[in-house]
Amino acid sequence: MKYILTILSLIICTGFAAGQAKSDSDKKLLKIKKGSYKPFFKIGNNQPITVVAFYMDEYAVTNEEFLEFVKANPQWSRSKVNRLFADANYLVHWESDNVIGESQKAIYKSPVIYVSWFAAKAYCSWKNKRLPSIAEWEMAGKAAPKNKINMPLTEYILEWYRRPNPKVLPNVKSTYSNIHGLYDMHGLVWEWTFNFNSFLSKGDSRTGEEDEKKAFCAAASINVNDLEDYAAFLRFSYRGALKGNFCIANLGFRCAKDNGQ
Amino acid sequence: MKKYFAVFVVVSSLILSCGKGAETEDKSCCAGKDTAICETDKEITPAESIFNLKAQFKTQDDKTFTLEMLTGKTTVVGMVFTHCAYACPRLTADMVSIADSLNGEDVNFLLVSFDVERDTPERLKYFATKSGLKDNWTLLHGSEDAVRTLSVLLNVQYEKDADGNFSHSNIVSVLDKQGRLQFQKEGLGADHAQTINTIKKLVQQP
Repeated sequence: MKYILTILSLIICTGFAAGQAKSDSDKKLLKIKKGSYKPFFKIGNNQPITVVAFYMDEYAVTNEEFLEFVKANPQWSRSKVNRLFADANYLVHWESDNVIGESQKAIYKSPVIYVSWFAAKAYCSWKNKRLPSIAEWEMAGKAAPKNKINMPLTEYILEWYRRPNPKVLPNVKSTYSNIHGLYDMHGLVWEWTFNFNSFLSKGDSRTGEEDEKKAFCAAASINVNDLEDYAAFLRFSYRGALKGNFCIANLGFRCAKDNGQ
Repeated sequence: MKKYFAVFVVVSSLILSCGKGAETEDKSCCAGKDTAICETDKEITPAESIFNLKAQFKTQDDKTFTLEMLTGKTTVVGMVFTHCAYACPRLTADMVSIADSLNGEDVNFLLVSFDVERDTPERLKYFATKSGLKDNWTLLHGSEDAVRTLSVLLNVQYEKDADGNFSHSNIVSVLDKQGRLQFQKEGLGADHAQTINTIKKLVQQP
């Protein structure tokens, strides 16, 4: 009996290990073709920014995937992480350092949340990837949905923003995919970007002290590129309110990679 | 560290755009000071220390630099770019003015450039000389990743414009001798009385 159990557990473990390896290499990096992106706020000469081709994870990093990173990099475990790089909410929804938890089985394949910018960046770097820039993320995110959504994208996004965070975060790939093949760009979690702190709430180098008003005063809203896109406004405000060590209940990430690597 | 001992003559005819053409005198970091202060005691970096950022930078003298090399002295930090026509010279001038108010206290001044493409060590050297910065000033060139990470740690926001210039917040940060962020003041031409008081207090601390 013992013998059988050993064999059985061996098979299960091997299967599990293989499954993990698979889930890793299985994660598709999708090529996003060169394009342009008009920043929400007009900057410089207000020309659209050219975004060169790059690759992006098909879906957000999951709890299960992030656990592998934490196991391989103990300095990023909940009890060891430096507060400078992750606040006290870091992975607060996990059972312990290296355990998501039996009761939490439903979220193994949900996007990891309660992760800081530093942790997200370290994860991507561990995968030999990087965080996408705002321009890359926004350009990829504005692509048209190819399924599941029967209203304008902006309307869908705002509808999502209005909903409270779900008690149990659904799995990745549970919302729409867009024409690039990217899943859940909107509808599941907000995502970290490499230069999230580029939103200038104040102190622009040329215009002095007036910039705060750019964001919040109607009189200055002529500076924004698309008055219709209230959703973009919300994302920029949200990013502007973040600090690098914040760990938040609806904020996850996905990684990107340069073209040609 | 060699650069701290490198003495160079600063030509006095240099002008900062704000009109504060700081005429400087030669002074190595240890001149007239207790040399023990210059010897960086290898202490354990506290968890809250910004020196936990291990990224490598290059100085204006093209030397490899990590932030923990600032350990042992109070440090005043600004993030700038040198092709900046307006705000950055003013931020630098504000820092020079802080330095002038310190009566020769032994303090590190650090400028870190957003402009990873154009602000090469040579360019930074040129800027330092042009701006009359003394040799307790370190100007850093880093990778995009290193500079962005530092900006996040210092809550400095910046963005590259389509024309290659940068929009950025103007913040003077003060770090204690172990690299903990102790004080920040935002704005150009701001009243830095409190900044100076904080620095003077920190200089006295171990």
